[in-house]
Amino acid sequence: MLKPIIYKEWIKTRWYLILALLVSIGFTAYGLLKIERVIDLMGAVHLWQIMLERDAIFIDSQSYIPLLIGIGLAIVQFVPEMMQSRLKLTLHLPCNQFAIIGTMLAYGLMVMLILAVANFAIMLVYMTNVFAVELTRHVLLTAITWYVAGFTAYLLTSWVCLEPTWKRRIFNIILSVCGLSVFFQSTVPEAYNGFIVVLVIYTILLVFLPMLSVHRFKTGHQD
Amino acid sequence: MESVISCRNLTHYYGKRLIYENLSFEVPKGRILGLLGKNGTGKTTTINILSGYLKPRSGECLIFGENVQNMHPALRKDIGLLIEGHVQYTFMNIAQVEKFYSQFYPKWNRDVYYELMRKLKVAPGQRISRMSCGQRSQVTLGLILAQNPELLILDDFSLGLDPGYRRLFIEYLYDYAKAENKTVFLTSHIIQDMERLIDDCMMLDYGGKILTQQPVEKLLNEFKRFTFKVPERYELQDFGKEFYNPSLLRNNVETFGFFDKNDAEQKLKQLQVPFSDLKCESLNLEDAFIGLTGKY
Repeated sequence: MLKPIIYKEWIKTRWYLILALLVSIGFTAYGLLKIERVIDLMGAVHLWQIMLERDAIFIDSQSYIPLLIGIGLAIVQFVPEMMQSRLKLTLHLPCNQFAIIGTMLAYGLMVMLILAVANFAIMLVYMTNVFAVELTRHVLLTAITWYVAGFTAYLLTSWVCLEPTWKRRIFNIILSVCGLSVFFQSTVPEAYNGFIVVLVIYTILLVFLPMLSVHRFKTGHQD
Repeated sequence: MESVISCRNLTHYYGKRLIYENLSFEVPKGRILGLLGKNGTGKTTTINILSGYLKPRSGECLIFGENVQNMHPALRKDIGLLIEGHVQYTFMNIAQVEKFYSQFYPKWNRDVYYELMRKLKVAPGQRISRMSCGQRSQVTLGLILAQNPELLILDDFSLGLDPGYRRLFIEYLYDYAKAENKTVFLTSHIIQDMERLIDDCMMLDYGGKILTQQPVEKLLNEFKRFTFKVPERYELQDFGKEFYNPSLLRNNVETFGFFDKNDAEQKLKQLQVPFSDLKCESLNLEDAFIGLTGKY
């Protein structure tokens, strides 16, 4: 019964998904091209040296990309639902209302996961050819935090978009900015290694926030 | 008669503003009931409560015997909902939206939908966002009719429609509701449209007072307008509860009541009103609405 919900989300987001895929892969490719250029000009030894001595990881240009993609995806998915209170149509469907919203969120999270996997796969395939395993791990562990931030941004933006009142929406935006800044406190590679599990749990728990907004919508909160 | 909708002692406030207190009403199966009221009397509030998007401060609404606040999701298969402004998924085209909804409703009748679309002369790939409000209303109506629900809740169905589309909407809806013995609960700002469509009317006044709930035919047979002349400089007096919304313009008085000319004459004599040239007129629904609710 929830298959048509996926169909609806696909129609809403398909052009955005193509754009998000192109942008994220574009930034990943740009980072890898930078690595390739250094190897061509200075050699692999020099590359390894600056990575170890100066904490260079070459893919830091994509650090905010998952975050921006997560925000954009939530906007593309949920702003049309809130315009003219279109969410009423969705919640009137003969299915459990929280299962409907859960499916919409699961769709978005799955899209974020596919984008993350695609980018990690590209980086992994390329880096295993030019880096030692330790250096590849070093780069990918640094990038994981940015992708977790993307999931968090998606859930927090969904919470903001689904909130029915502007007053609370602004409050939610402020809290979301604070919540997301946690991911960008340090630019040092692998700075979050000891903390990443906590960040993942924190992100998983955020799934309940959009449900809270839907509950407020259902009970008639309005400006 | 079996009730499809039953609202009991509804009380609701927006902040400190009372919308209504202890509002109770029922909608019998197979009837088309129009909810009429001035702006701010709580028509959309009632629709929102009925469709489960607003929790009243107190009281309850039952549809098919279940409280709308914790209704089983499957029961929504039998409730068609039209949101004010003919809101639809504008990011879909007319084929996509049909495909989407058809998967939720076992009694789905796609022929009804596509018959209406043929009348609109729109291609299946036409995006809803590029349609006029009138065309969108037909898409919405087509989807509701294809769903084949037992109860239709329509909020201000005539909003934004030109006379042609309003007429088309009403004719289709009336024919469907009567042929299939469906129950309809609706609101509209355009009362002439209601007259063509509804069996019963319920008129709401501020504070949730129900001015009348009865079959339209009975209301229009019994509720009359009375006009009479009074001397110059006559000051309008309170005619009592039986005379509705008396008004004075120059030396002509207009008032309304549920009685005939002879009764009106006797009542005015009892009240010692210096009247002459008493006239009694039958009303259409819009005049009856003005008569019951007043012009202001």
